[in-house]
Amino acid sequence: MGIEDSHVYTVAFNDISAVVHCCEAKPYKTEDKEKAGEWILTHQYVIDLATKEFGTVIPLTFDTIFKGDDETVQQWLREEHRELKTMLEKLDGKAEYGVQIFVENDFVEKAPEENEEIWKLKKEIENKPKGAAYLLQKKLERKLELERKVLADKHTKNLYNEIKKLVDDVKLDSTKKEVPEKWKGKRMILNLACLAHKDKIQNLGNMLGEVDKREGFAVRFTGPWPPYSFVGEIGRSKGEKVK
Amino acid sequence: MPIKIDEDNLKSGLLGLVVALVEIIQDVLEREAIRRMESGRLKDEEVDRLGNGLMELRAALEHIKRENHLEKIVGSVRCDLDKLVEETIDIMANPERWEREMEKTEVRQ
Repeated sequence: MGIEDSHVYTVAFNDISAVVHCCEAKPYKTEDKEKAGEWILTHQYVIDLATKEFGTVIPLTFDTIFKGDDETVQQWLREEHRELKTMLEKLDGKAEYGVQIFVENDFVEKAPEENEEIWKLKKEIENKPKGAAYLLQKKLERKLELERKVLADKHTKNLYNEIKKLVDDVKLDSTKKEVPEKWKGKRMILNLACLAHKDKIQNLGNMLGEVDKREGFAVRFTGPWPPYSFVGEIGRSKGEKVK
Repeated sequence: MPIKIDEDNLKSGLLGLVVALVEIIQDVLEREAIRRMESGRLKDEEVDRLGNGLMELRAALEHIKRENHLEKIVGSVRCDLDKLVEETIDIMANPERWEREMEKTEVRQ
């Protein structure tokens, strides 16, 4: 069931186990995109199965490879036992959820309409010769863009603070990511990974539902995912990851 | 990963990159022109001439883009450059910038 049909098994130490399979001590590499996708999906599939089977798991990234044998893995479990236990407790009953909030691209343009400076600029453009009007138009565009940024920033901060209260942990992600097809033409103002307990997720869902109903706003809410964004450097320290 | 060169794409890719760079220069020129206009040291006809020149440059660029079907590729080059610059600045300046900024506003409330 593992990558390339490898045999997946567990290596135990005390009360924790690692889910592993045997492979060469070098990173997986391929030019074939489909194959790479398959590997990642299989990795994901094993994590899902492990979650179903054992409850809380710490998902390590694809391509985390230990140089050595089962003993090496056990040694690592022993050394990191305390840290791993703390992490497992932190993740217990929780999952990762993706939250992305978008606004209409022109949405923020509506508010500055009342802005006197902008209104004046618009009037001026009408009365100027072509070349001068062009420069003023550019000036206006820049001003509007700035206003949009300021307003979006305000919304971003408020939403972030609201969401933070409803979940156990949040990680900010870049909003410069490609906007998914369904939300094309909109501007992403917040991109979060949230760690939340399954019992509490309804609260976040309700709050985001309200935001989604607001004029000009749209929300993308995904999950539950394995909490990749919240496992920190586990498995990446001490060169366990063969590069 | 090695860069694969597709002959068909090479021309539009290269031209796209050039046009994207000229567009960026155009943006900088416009910014400077606005600054000079605002400084009040230019006569009205000088402002108009400056604006006309920039407008023609913009129109020429748009024409080149349309003729060569470069709209998409120029857009993506600029988007990639923006992302690259922004990420670099963000990493250099402070990766935890946002989080800390949020904390601060929280304390103040």
